[in-house]
Amino acid sequence: MNLIAPLNSRGGWALVKSTWTSWLQYRSFFFLLAFGWMIPPLIYLFVWSAAAGQDHVGGITRGQFVGYYLILILVNQITYSQTNWTVGDVIRSGGLNAWLLRPMPPLFHALSSELAGKVVYLTFVTPVAALLALLLRPEIDPGLAAAPLFVLSVALAWALRFVWGLWIALLAFWATRADALLAVQDALVFVLAGVVAPVALLPAYLQGAARFLPFRYMVGFPVEILTGHLTGDELAVGFAMQSAWLVIAVALAYQVWRVGLRRYTAIGG
Amino acid sequence: MSQPQIIVEHLTKVYRVPQRGEGLAAAVTSMFRRAYQHVTAVNDVSFAIAPAEIVGLIGPNGAGKTTTLKMLSGLLHPTAGAATVAGHAPWERHPAFLRRISMVLGNKSQMLWDIPPLDTFRVLAEIYAVPPAEYRATLDELVALLEMEELLAKPVRSFSLGERMKCELVAGLLHRPAVLFLDEPTLGLDVSMQSRLRRFVAEYNRRSGATVILTSHYMADVVALCPRVIVIHQGRILYDGRLGQLAERLAPFKLLRVAMGEVEIEAEVKAKAEEEIERLPGGVEVLERENGRLVLRVRRGDAPAVTAHLLQKLPVSDLTVEDPPLEAVIDQIYQQPDALSDEAGRPESARAAQ
Repeated sequence: MNLIAPLNSRGGWALVKSTWTSWLQYRSFFFLLAFGWMIPPLIYLFVWSAAAGQDHVGGITRGQFVGYYLILILVNQITYSQTNWTVGDVIRSGGLNAWLLRPMPPLFHALSSELAGKVVYLTFVTPVAALLALLLRPEIDPGLAAAPLFVLSVALAWALRFVWGLWIALLAFWATRADALLAVQDALVFVLAGVVAPVALLPAYLQGAARFLPFRYMVGFPVEILTGHLTGDELAVGFAMQSAWLVIAVALAYQVWRVGLRRYTAIGG
Repeated sequence: MSQPQIIVEHLTKVYRVPQRGEGLAAAVTSMFRRAYQHVTAVNDVSFAIAPAEIVGLIGPNGAGKTTTLKMLSGLLHPTAGAATVAGHAPWERHPAFLRRISMVLGNKSQMLWDIPPLDTFRVLAEIYAVPPAEYRATLDELVALLEMEELLAKPVRSFSLGERMKCELVAGLLHRPAVLFLDEPTLGLDVSMQSRLRRFVAEYNRRSGATVILTSHYMADVVALCPRVIVIHQGRILYDGRLGQLAERLAPFKLLRVAMGEVEIEAEVKAKAEEEIERLPGGVEVLERENGRLVLRVRRGDAPAVTAHLLQKLPVSDLTVEDPPLEAVIDQIYQQPDALSDEAGRPESARAAQ
């Protein structure tokens, strides 16, 4: 019945390694996917840096836009959860049976492809971003304290984006095309998480929504920590919101899994 | 007899299937008010299986075999009834239970497609926490039994169906399960691969003492492996007992194959024989008749008398008495399940309990 307990970390780690080996066979496919995911932020990088020109837009210079978007490309790649797109298929195709028959929390199967995916994607995206940084001369001027906070917020952002997508993906227990809702999540991330424009540049009503809803805390917030000169108060509120949404996401995912699995074992896969 | 490894009592599974008429109007209506039909897939099934026993679970498509296996392996929650497998209620899916069972599905793969089987085996050994020395020993033994040394380092995607099935068996047995569920393990395999896998399952059962429940549509699997069969039809147990008695109980007929003298027999004798055939005793049914060959179906009890009659009246050169082929018996059961007597249908466990 339990999603994670009792843990079987030895088996989980072995699964991560094998998934990774398996996925390396398809490097070029995953590189193409990662390339596709880079395109929207890359477009807005060029749009905003052209708009800024020698001047600035909303107090942000050309070089700062470049820095913002290069970091966003990395954060977006680290936090993007492609696994959630396949969880629904696993449930529909009966692949969940194999997960359930093993003495290991089924969540490990999702986590293993998640971690394996990260490694494969980042081997592509990191050098590309580094190359762009050499060509486009970003201006980044983070304070010393920003680095550890950035790492922490990226970790939380990943967990939030993964678990939030997971509860949506688990709706596949009821609806055959629940993953359409994942596309809605992607669209909201695009608008509200700082991809189309840094949240600070959004119209006031969208900014309000962005600061309240979970999506900014999946991508934009960590990027702003490095580039946005957030005040102490803004940081505190940001981390509080990020943690609160993570708790809500975990509760939702746990509940959807519990009820969904009860239904699955009632009707069969 | 030791404590049964599998105890099933009044196990019942009712599925609730949404009903919807044809067309757009019905589709719209069904969004607001769903009608359901209740389908009883498994109906009050009881049996007990001892450790190290191999039992064949047979029945037509949709009989409830897979539903039963899914309940026993913990994938499905029953609607009513109880089951204990290796000391656990399966649907609690306790890790200690999952470590003691294995389910191998002929039409589903648990191998990772893009890497050699050896890598998948290693992961499974980790997941099941098999100690390295034991893993080595088990793997060597299974690989030798299945003669698949050369497959270990190639990617699974390049395998034939039979080669993949060998891998599935190794994957399912690495943790040395005490209970093994085999759902159609020979599905789609060629004859020699089928018999190879049969020998393997028999040998594995002999060596490990694992309890095996096997479903198959190939009677050869059942004949080769299962001293005991449970016939299930429309969710109910029709027969539970020795395979050897199945034909006797369920098909109260024998087949007589008669060959008469070759072409050189005189026309007169031939004509007389023709007449005799027309005047066979009642209850004898001619199934085939051509070129001096006859196949007759006779009530089991009448077989000796009819045989004597034939030997006396016809120029017989050869005569054999056989049980009808198991396939024919099974087909007959599937077609007319009511033909079974209560005595034959009573589960072995119920009889043993009396």
